[in-house]
Amino acid sequence: MLPAPDEVPWSALVNGNEVSVRIESNAILLDVLRDKAGSLGTKRGCDMGTCGCCSVLIDGVPRLSCLTLAQEASGCGITTIEGLADGHHLHPIQKTFTECGGSQCGFCSPGFLVVISALLEENPTPNDTEIKDAIEGNLCRCTGYQQIVDSVRVASEILASGDGVEDSTTAKSDPHPSYGGN
Amino acid sequence: MSEDKDRVEGYRQQSGKLPFSRPGSGGSRKMSEPRDEDKIANIRGNGGHKHDDVVTGSAVGRPTALIDGRWKVTGQAQYGDDVRLPGELVGRIVRSKHHYARVLSIDVSAATELPGVVAVATGQDASGRFGVLPVTKDEHAMAQEKVRHVGDLIACVAATDEATAREAVRLVEVEYEELEAVHDMRQGLENSEEPIHDRGKYHIGASNVQKRVFQEFGDIEGMSANAVVSHNSNWLFAGANHGFTEPHAVVANWDPSGRLTLYTPQQVPHYVHRALADVLDIPMHQINVHRTFVGGGFGGKSDPFPHEMCAAILSRKTGRPVRINFDREEVFWVNRGRHPSRIGMNLHADSKGRLCGIETDALIDGGAFASFGHVTTYYNGVLHTAPYEIGAFHYTGARVWTNKPASGAMRGHGAVNSRCAVEVGMDDLAEQLNVDPITLRLANLLPPHSATITGFRVTSIGMRECLERVRQASGWDDKFRKLPDGHGIGIGCGFFISGSGLPIHWEPNKFPHATVHLKIDMDGGVTVHTGAAEIGQGSDTVIAQSVAEVLGLPLDMIRIRSRETDTSPVDLGSYSSRVTFMNANAAISAAMEIRQELLEAAAAATDAPIERLVIGDRRIYRKDDPAVGVSYLEALHKAQEDKGALVSSGAYRTPPMGRVHKGAGAGIAPAYSFSAYVAEVKVDIETGQTKVLKVWAAHDCGKALNPLSVKGQIIGSCHMGLGQVLSEEMKYGRNGHLINPDLLDYKIPTIHEMPEIVPIIVESNDSEGPFGAKEAGEGPLLPILPAVCNAVYDAVGIRTSELPITPDRVHRMIEARCKHEGVTPLDLSSPELHHSELQEVLEARASEHASRDAMRATDPDPSDYNNGALFGFDPEIPADEQDERWVVSVTPSSDYMESPRLAGSAWKHTERRHGGDS
Repeated sequence: MLPAPDEVPWSALVNGNEVSVRIESNAILLDVLRDKAGSLGTKRGCDMGTCGCCSVLIDGVPRLSCLTLAQEASGCGITTIEGLADGHHLHPIQKTFTECGGSQCGFCSPGFLVVISALLEENPTPNDTEIKDAIEGNLCRCTGYQQIVDSVRVASEILASGDGVEDSTTAKSDPHPSYGGN
Repeated sequence: MSEDKDRVEGYRQQSGKLPFSRPGSGGSRKMSEPRDEDKIANIRGNGGHKHDDVVTGSAVGRPTALIDGRWKVTGQAQYGDDVRLPGELVGRIVRSKHHYARVLSIDVSAATELPGVVAVATGQDASGRFGVLPVTKDEHAMAQEKVRHVGDLIACVAATDEATAREAVRLVEVEYEELEAVHDMRQGLENSEEPIHDRGKYHIGASNVQKRVFQEFGDIEGMSANAVVSHNSNWLFAGANHGFTEPHAVVANWDPSGRLTLYTPQQVPHYVHRALADVLDIPMHQINVHRTFVGGGFGGKSDPFPHEMCAAILSRKTGRPVRINFDREEVFWVNRGRHPSRIGMNLHADSKGRLCGIETDALIDGGAFASFGHVTTYYNGVLHTAPYEIGAFHYTGARVWTNKPASGAMRGHGAVNSRCAVEVGMDDLAEQLNVDPITLRLANLLPPHSATITGFRVTSIGMRECLERVRQASGWDDKFRKLPDGHGIGIGCGFFISGSGLPIHWEPNKFPHATVHLKIDMDGGVTVHTGAAEIGQGSDTVIAQSVAEVLGLPLDMIRIRSRETDTSPVDLGSYSSRVTFMNANAAISAAMEIRQELLEAAAAATDAPIERLVIGDRRIYRKDDPAVGVSYLEALHKAQEDKGALVSSGAYRTPPMGRVHKGAGAGIAPAYSFSAYVAEVKVDIETGQTKVLKVWAAHDCGKALNPLSVKGQIIGSCHMGLGQVLSEEMKYGRNGHLINPDLLDYKIPTIHEMPEIVPIIVESNDSEGPFGAKEAGEGPLLPILPAVCNAVYDAVGIRTSELPITPDRVHRMIEARCKHEGVTPLDLSSPELHHSELQEVLEARASEHASRDAMRATDPDPSDYNNGALFGFDPEIPADEQDERWVVSVTPSSDYMESPRLAGSAWKHTERRHGGDS
């Protein structure tokens, strides 16, 4: 028989929503986010803090949720990948990740994206060294990182221009288009 | 038609009344006039291609974001472990703690009694054999009699939560009888009292040799006799793991109707489909394999896996969905990564700087199961019979079972290690001949549309352009042998299959390799059904682009359904770099059928003759009078009269190819990719640390359908290859135990280890590829390893023959060189080059061949060219039919067996059925 673990109340502001659940006292934040807070976008890659797939922001600071006891984050504001977009308006880095090849298989993308969003929040115009230092804790096996860095550069330009990202629900191509003219 | 050009025919759109004006019209004359059709050029690529007539300019060739990208960047993409079904149970696997043991008994009673445990299963619940290749099925869902490596499956449990499942695994008591394990691959060649598998009458002696290959082609006798210089090396390559970020995960669910749905991140859903039917003993139609998003594959998710069987078995027992999710450690136990290999490589060059022989001896460590190993054993040899024209090819290969996690297919399958050895050998030959290594390569290339020494039909070849482009981009001529000590530059080339010519399961049936279905209903959107597995490489996107291109539609009107075997036509999946070539070809065929229907409808609507109609962006119009036309939707609705949705099916099957000797099928492909990389490195002479500074990477992918993805594949391949050459290694300790099954000690390069990569796309416009395309997923990995090794030689004058070149290894080699030369590291000088007379000979030949190749590349009907012409034979006839000294042999002679090389010694055993003892 397994010893019954202590259960404790836990609450946090996950992507702006109050989450209040009971968790086991030794629960890992990653498990709580995935299994109790509905953030399946936060990925489990290695369980020992080496790959960065599970990165989330705790009060705006990138943390590895697989190495964080859930109780440490109790009462904090937590941002996961699901919290980056504003409704159907993507965060610029989400848009450029798709358009510049920052994401291939996409499994590491949630970790990269939250880390980069924190970087851009703090420093909207990072240079290459600053970009590299920010994502040094994240492994990507597909892209070789180069197109990830490209994505950050372009996202930084979008931020600087002040243009938002369009709503993804707007009408797409018309199969019976008007060519203008008269 | 043309006799009366003034007469306006057909349904003519009136401005203001109908939705179209002539595209680009303006000014006072709103109406167009018919034009002289002869003056309107067809859209043509370089050299012309069979798909030129269906090019509409809509989608192909543009850098295109992956169509499923937004799912991934918002966290909404569901990977294996993200599939959560109501009432799910959590499965865990009981794994062997011994390398090799007989399982005497399994006591599951304590586990079964643990509250929360719903079911426990063992090998008794599924005794069916499976394996990815039909000829070597040697796996079971769980141990039948023996366990063959640490981590091999013994039993599995399903419980209400993960903690209970883990506890239940601990409570399963297994009684073992330990057997003597084989760890060293060389030991696998010897007879054993208890071979790891028993293949019955096909067993080779009493050894652990799983597969052996012997091949001799060309002038074997003359190989050494004609040589003026030779390169000899003995390589040791460590095993490498794919290192995909998503650990394996699977969910199995038997629904109330009795059908099984298996949710799994698979590269090859079809093989799992087959294997499940075998193991569960139910027909295939009762199973739906649902491919989830795949968090990286690289070959590591292309076998049917025992844990997939386990989930299905547990779900069958419990009547509930069962999810099994791996720890990172378990990923290393299931492995299927690159084979640890010992490769002997001898190259010979004659006085004219021709490559008069390649001798390769490759012993590869297969671990505990066959997996793709049958093929790997061939690929280690046959995939270096190009791009160079050679005088002889002697290959001995053997794959042995050892008590390690199984090796299998990994990006660049079977070609990576031996290619590294060949390219480092080429560098050494150039050094000995005192010529430039790029010139040596340029003077020895096979031309387009030629046959290799083993009879592979090679169509387009962009090798020469790759070499020339990297030479120029890297500033090679100013850097090679001229950089300061500790800095170096090196070249490496690659050659890889673009799809496997023979399907694994099909013969003697003539099923296609790939099938694509299209459906267009009244909304105008196109639904594409394909079984090609999107694993992040962009297969969904490239298929959508191909369909969009033919139909003249924007990409957002195409939707791909590629997830489920229930709705997708059978497809061989994402391996051997086949998807773009085969599936895009099938998609183009399917789209061309629909295109024809749309053209017919447009012809009926406009009264224009069908051969005058062309498709542009969402519009079908007269080529000679663009104002006469209908919109895509108008044509579609016309075509759907009395019929409803348009549906079509397109398929691709390879043409007949290759020669007839045993093993001739291994390595044949409908096309081959080529690549050449230059790497610039800095080696710290005191610490042995190698830093790669910059890589110029030219890859011939035929035609870049999605240049963004091609570049991504090139850069990603460099990353994976740099890992293998610099730091990645599956380390086995003194007792044979894998000591680094985690991403902390298995060192994948981070961003700080990555140099700047300059991807250079070379387009050779393959005659059979979709719009001219070939592969770009695996070939780009090959050249980076030798390019780095050769650059290290240029930097510090040490020739490595062991990978990875970790600082300790490089340091040891530097020390050895210092000791040998009696100097301190700081006094070491790097190699120099003073051209010999041969350099000019080679330059002249390269320049002559360049014109030959340019002619052949665009010749619509090039004459036959067989390997051997460089040695004076008639190119139109295979050299072995012209000269009896040129042999074709696939069994060793008794002479050879008197002193066989390492892998060649596998032939000292007799197959049991030939030994008279079966």
